[in-house]
Amino acid sequence: MIELQGLTKTYDDKDVVQDISLRIESGEFGVLIGPSGCGKSTTLRMINRLIPLTRGRILLGDEDISHLKPETLRRRIGYAIQSIGLFPHWTVADNIAVVPRLLKWPKSRIDARIDELLDLFHLAAGEFRDKYPHQLSGGQAQRVGVARALAADPEVLLMDEPFGAVDPLTREVLQNEMRRVHERTRKTIVFVTHDMDEALKLASRIAILNAGRLVQYDRPIELLTQPADAFVSDFIGKADLGLKLLSRRWVNQYQDRARTTPDAASGRPSHYWETDATGRPTCLHGGRLSDGDPEARTAVNDEWIATPGMPMKEALSRMVWYRVMVLPVIDESGRLIGEVSMDGVMGRQP
Amino acid sequence: MPAVFRHADRRLVANRVLATLLVAAVAGSLLLPFAAMAPNRLVSGESVALVAALSPWQTLVLLGLALVLGVACLARPLGEHRGARTALIAAPLALLVVLYGLGDYATRALADASPAARVSQGAAFWVAVFCCALMMVDAFQRLRTPLWLCSIYALVVLGGIVALFAAGTFDALAIMQEYFNIEDAFAAQFVTHLVLVGLALGPALVVGLPLGLLAHRRPGARGPLFGVLNFFQTIPSIALFALLVTPLSRLGDALPWLREWGVSGIGAAPAIIALIMYSLLPIVRNTHAGFAGVAPATLEAASGMGMTATQVLWRVEIPLALPVILSGLRIVTVQAIGLTVVAALIGAGGLGAFIFQGLGQYAIDLVLLGAVPTIALAVVADFLLQILVTVSRPAGAR
Ligand SMILES: Nc1ncnc2c1ncn2[C@@H]1O[C@H](COP(=O)(O)OP(=O)(O)O)[C@@H](O)[C@H]1O
Ligand SMILES: [Mg+2]
Repeated sequence: MIELQGLTKTYDDKDVVQDISLRIESGEFGVLIGPSGCGKSTTLRMINRLIPLTRGRILLGDEDISHLKPETLRRRIGYAIQSIGLFPHWTVADNIAVVPRLLKWPKSRIDARIDELLDLFHLAAGEFRDKYPHQLSGGQAQRVGVARALAADPEVLLMDEPFGAVDPLTREVLQNEMRRVHERTRKTIVFVTHDMDEALKLASRIAILNAGRLVQYDRPIELLTQPADAFVSDFIGKADLGLKLLSRRWVNQYQDRARTTPDAASGRPSHYWETDATGRPTCLHGGRLSDGDPEARTAVNDEWIATPGMPMKEALSRMVWYRVMVLPVIDESGRLIGEVSMDGVMGRQP
Repeated sequence: MPAVFRHADRRLVANRVLATLLVAAVAGSLLLPFAAMAPNRLVSGESVALVAALSPWQTLVLLGLALVLGVACLARPLGEHRGARTALIAAPLALLVVLYGLGDYATRALADASPAARVSQGAAFWVAVFCCALMMVDAFQRLRTPLWLCSIYALVVLGGIVALFAAGTFDALAIMQEYFNIEDAFAAQFVTHLVLVGLALGPALVVGLPLGLLAHRRPGARGPLFGVLNFFQTIPSIALFALLVTPLSRLGDALPWLREWGVSGIGAAPAIIALIMYSLLPIVRNTHAGFAGVAPATLEAASGMGMTATQVLWRVEIPLALPVILSGLRIVTVQAIGLTVVAALIGAGGLGAFIFQGLGQYAIDLVLLGAVPTIALAVVADFLLQILVTVSRPAGAR
C-alpha cells in the first residue's frame, strides 16, 4: 500500500505538485495520467526520494518513507523508466542482479531469480543472460528493464512511461505482458503515462493530474461515465468515448441466449446457429446485414467468434470488420454458449 | 554482370594510399641521397645514392618487393583485401632490407677508410622507412585487424629490427658510433627521461582526475578551471621553463630543506612542474568528458535502484568514463615524452640533452641519437596506451 498525503513540491516558488492525496492499495495497478509537465514524474520520483518533497507525507505500508534511508527505501521499490537506463557495461544477467547484489543475496538465489524473471518475460535464459544491452531490441531492453525493477521482489513498482519510446506494436505486446505480470505477481504498481488507452487497458485506478493538482482519482469505468469536470472529459476525449467505454466492458455482460433452430412462429426474419455434434457453431443462418437475404447461410470462421472475457470493443470491431450483426460466444472448448449482437450492444447502457 | 565485378573492373588501382606511398618511396629512394660518407664527425659528408650503396642482391630484392607492392595496390588480380595482406608481408621485408642495406653499406665503406670517417643515413633512407611503416598501418586499417593481432605483428617486426641491432648490423653507422662514445650517459639519460615523464604524469593524474570529476559535478567551477588550464597550455614550453627558473631558485634559496630535495631554479624541479602544468588540461578535459558522457538515464537508474553515491561512482561512472580518461592519458604521455626534450635546456637531463649537445657541436648524428629514441618512445607509449584504451572499453561496447 502506498499513500500520498498532501504531497507538494515547490520549485522556485512554483508548486509543480500541489497538495496531492491518494492511496493505492496493495496489489492495485495505479496509473498517474495527465498532460506533459503536469507533475507525474515529479510525484513518482518523490516516492523513491530521488526528489525531496517540499510538504506532505508519503507512507509505504505504515512507514513514513522519510524515516528510511533513501538507499534502503529504493532497494524496496522497483523503478523502471522510459529510457530504461540499462548499464551498458554489464550483461543482461548482471543488470537484473543489481538490487539482489546490493542486498547481498547468495549467488545461487540470484542466479535462480535471474532465470525466473527472464522466463516471466519470455526471454530464453540461455540466449539472453550473457547478452549486452546494445545487442537487444527496444522491446527486449524494456523487458529487461522491468525485470531488473522486479528483481529483488520489491513491495512496490514505480514505472515512468516505460513503454513511451517503443513502437506501437511492441507497446501493445508489452502492455499485455505487463497485465499478465501484474496478475501473476500482484505487485502494487504506480505507473505514469500520458496515453489514455494505455491507462484504460492497465489500470485498476486512474489518477488524473492537471497543472500539479489531482483532478480525479477513480476506477476507469467511473472516470469514463462520471468525469469530475470538463478537463477530465476533454482529456479522456469525447470522440471515441463510446468505444473507450466498451474497452472496459466484457462480452459476458452483453451475452444473449443463442438460438439453434429457426423461429418459425414469428413471421419476421431472424437468425439461428447450426452446431456440430460437439456443440461448436458451424454456420449462421441469416443475420448478416439487415437488408440481406434472411435465409443466407454463412460458415462460422475462426475470427468472427467472441469469448466471454473479450472486451466488448474488440467484439464490436469484429462485427464491423466481418460485416455481421451477431457473433457466436464460445467457451474454452469451442462450444456455443451464447451470442452477442449489434442490437444487444445498442440496446444496453454502456 | 555481378556488382562485385563491375566495381572491380572500373578501377585500376584499388589502394591509392599504398600506390602513393610506393611512388613516394621509390622516387625518394632514387632522387634523394641514401647515405652520406664524411671524413670526420664534424663535416657534412658526400652523398651516396641508394643504388650505389646497396649490393646487387639487395637492390634486386628491393626491386622485387617494390614490384610486389605495385601489384598489391591494383584492383586485379589481388584486390583490396588480398593486396593489403600482401603489403603486410612485403612492406616489413622491404623495411628490413633497407635497414640491413644501410648497415651493410656502412660496414663495407668503413672497412678501408680512416678511423675518423663516418657513414650516416640520408633522406632517402628516412623516406623509405616511413613509407614502409605507413604501408603497414594502412593495411591494418583496411583489414580492420583486431588490436591484439596488430600487437603480435608489431612485436615480430620489432623483433627483426632488434635482431639486426644485436647482430651488430648498424655498429658502423655514425649514430651508433656516437652511441658507443657515450654508452653509459645514454642509458642514464634514457632513464632520466622516463623518470621525468613519470614524475610529471603521476602528480598530474593525482591532481587532474579529481579536478576533472569536480568540473563534472560543479558546472560553476568549470569556467575558471578550464580558463586557467587553457592559459597554461598557451604558454610556449621554453617560456614556461624560463618563467619557472626565478621563482624556484628564490624558493630554493629561502627554504634550504627544499634545496636539499633538489628544488632549485634549474634542473628537474622546474621541468617537472612545467610538465605537470601542461598535462593537466588534457587529463582534466578528458576526465570531465568521460563522466559527462555517461547517459543520465543510466545514472538515474543506478541511484533509483538504491546504489549509494560511492557505488554509483565506482561501479557505473568510472568504468564507463575510463576509456575517455585513458585517451587523455595517452595524449598526455606522448606530449610529455616530447616536451621533456625541451626540459634538457634548463638542465633537467633526458634524451634532449644529446639533441642540444649535438646542435651545439653541429654533430647531427648526436642530435639523431637523442631524437630517434624519443620518437620511438612516443610511438611505443602511444601504442601501449591505445591497447589499454581498447581493453578498458566496456565488453558490451568494444
Ligand atoms: N528541477 C526542476 N526545476 C524546476 N522546475 C522543474 C524541475 N523539474 C521539473 N520541473 C517542472 O515541473 C513540472 C512537472 O515536471 P514533470 O513532473 O517532469 O512533468 P511530467 O508530468 O511530464 O512528468 C514541469 O513544468 C517542469 O518544468
Ligand atoms: Mg515525465
